[in-house]
Amino acid sequence: MSSTSSVGLTQARTPFEFKSAAPLLFIEREQARNLEELLHALKTCPDASIFQHTFRTLEEHHFIKEGFSNDFAQWAYTDLREVGLGERLTGLDVREFTSIAKLRERLIQIVEEFRDATPSAKDSVSKTPFYFCSSKITVLPTQRSAKNLPEFIEGLKQVSIHSIHYHFIEARLRRELETNDFSIWFRRDLGMEKEAKRLNQIDIYTSTLEGVRRKILQTLQGAA
Amino acid sequence: MTEPVRSNVESLEPRSAATVKTDEATKDAASGQVRARRKPQISDTPPAPPPAPTLADYEPIIGKSQVDELRFVAKRLQGKRVKMVNSTAVGGGVAEMLNRLVPLLDELGIKTGWEVITGGNDFFEVTKGFHNALHGADFTFTDAAREVFLRHNEQNRQRMTFDEDFVVIHDPQPAGLIASKSGSSHWVWRCHIDLSHPNPDVWSFLQPMVEKYDATVFSSPAFARRLSIPQALFYPCIDPLSDKNKDLDESYIQSVCDNFGVDRKRPIVTQISRFDRLKDPLGVIHAYKMAKKYVDFQLVLAGGGASDDPEGAAVLQEVNEAAGEDPDIIILDLPPWCALEINALQRASTIVVQKSLKEGFGLTVTEALWKGKPTIASAVGGIPTQVIDKHTGALVHSVEGCAYQIRYLLTHAEFGAQLGKNGREHVKENFLMTTNARRWVLLLGILSGATS
Repeated sequence: MSSTSSVGLTQARTPFEFKSAAPLLFIEREQARNLEELLHALKTCPDASIFQHTFRTLEEHHFIKEGFSNDFAQWAYTDLREVGLGERLTGLDVREFTSIAKLRERLIQIVEEFRDATPSAKDSVSKTPFYFCSSKITVLPTQRSAKNLPEFIEGLKQVSIHSIHYHFIEARLRRELETNDFSIWFRRDLGMEKEAKRLNQIDIYTSTLEGVRRKILQTLQGAA
Repeated sequence: MTEPVRSNVESLEPRSAATVKTDEATKDAASGQVRARRKPQISDTPPAPPPAPTLADYEPIIGKSQVDELRFVAKRLQGKRVKMVNSTAVGGGVAEMLNRLVPLLDELGIKTGWEVITGGNDFFEVTKGFHNALHGADFTFTDAAREVFLRHNEQNRQRMTFDEDFVVIHDPQPAGLIASKSGSSHWVWRCHIDLSHPNPDVWSFLQPMVEKYDATVFSSPAFARRLSIPQALFYPCIDPLSDKNKDLDESYIQSVCDNFGVDRKRPIVTQISRFDRLKDPLGVIHAYKMAKKYVDFQLVLAGGGASDDPEGAAVLQEVNEAAGEDPDIIILDLPPWCALEINALQRASTIVVQKSLKEGFGLTVTEALWKGKPTIASAVGGIPTQVIDKHTGALVHSVEGCAYQIRYLLTHAEFGAQLGKNGREHVKENFLMTTNARRWVLLLGILSGATS
């Protein structure tokens, strides 16, 4: 797996190749102005739409550190004005989901439960529809790779926040695991189990993506 | 470091008494003494456009990693050829955007040409009617109008060649050129207008043409139609290196404020818009008066449209009447080439307001957000895409809401600063010219199968 005695100079068997991802947004056919339309659209929209409005929107709004979780929650709060629904949808943590199907099920469950518990909400109509979109992702290599911890730290400082989103958030879906690319590499290739676990615990919802970068660096610099 | 600023302000030296219009004297709000309202000096000719920036010029703004990503994505399209076609080479947002986009794509190795369709007065009258009709205005779609449109599109089709790998047609005027699509070339219809409530006759006429394209691009989901072809979403964008948006020396900003009689020692709330009822300048004045009971500030209403538009002149008159003798309401009717002055006013402002009743995308909001200004804007058009309420700005729905937000943001500077910071990041992520270039490269790559 690795060689030499010092953690900082441990060489990984497989270098970590930093990648990034460039999304292109498309407008889908589904729209919703009220709860029933939202429910219907959640059931029929493409997987790429569910992904766009939950995982991808974190990247689009990476600079907001509090109060923004996903597009559905934001719409429920500000346009449909159903605060209770907004709160429930805000509570969704995309890191708990390793498949879009499960995430879609959970979204539908939240909206159905709210609808059933709040009969008056069926009369709520939003002036601004929720427009379902989707994104086509193009994966890009960067010029950066790392064979050991110091190189990883240096690479992480240089890559874009899109690279961080790709490896730290989106990886869960890609790998269908409740973890991320960084933690996997640290555990498997550098034998740094503790750091791998700590990285996976970093809260992405109370921080911007730049904040996530800083937290990762703080965690790793302590181990270097 | 900012480059030397070219300005339309001819003289920044203290003016002699001969140039001060004493018949525009107003009372100073603080001392009650009569002071002369300065008549700003503005050039009556537009300046020469600066050379287009290169990708390297954008690197300090968006970062090396983003520029590298853009270059990488473009690599797969090296040597491919693109033709952009629109209806005018000068004036309007599309020409302005293409002036920047075409050289950037070229620099990325994607050979991009730009052609403009020709047509007589009859053609442009018809297409102007189409434009208004597609925005929902009444329009009688006659056989004569149909014939004019088709004839001129056919004439242009015969005149032009279309052997490029990609052809991008901007807006309805040249939409009929699709009849030239052949072989393996990919055609895209880029619609810059709001098609949410089009005249059904005009849309029924255009839709079959549009459906022949390989993809369309709209500026907002709200503007799009239900089509059988992919609809990409490209938000409008600003160029951070243009005169309207580039960094400015403090001394220049000060000189512009001095010229316009804006006191930078006191808070400044600004709306930059044409003098047009849909921008609701009277509503802004009303909000000013409500808020002024609680906080001291100046209101600047700067825009144009009064000198070339009879309705604009009428609106300006209404605005002047509503402002009355209040020396803290500064009304500036500026010609369209005052980009640097507008830039300076936005940068000098404590808060920027856009209290439109209707709006397209609202690039004046994008400009304000880019400058890190706490922005209060109506929840109309494309504004909510940019102003995420309480995160990147404050969305309002009424005069009272606008007044309250002015009071709040003027008394909570830290919160306003955070909104401004978020707003700038939001623009950097989504509404810059380099993002636009990346979207085009990605779309062309997807269409040709070069990227996946």
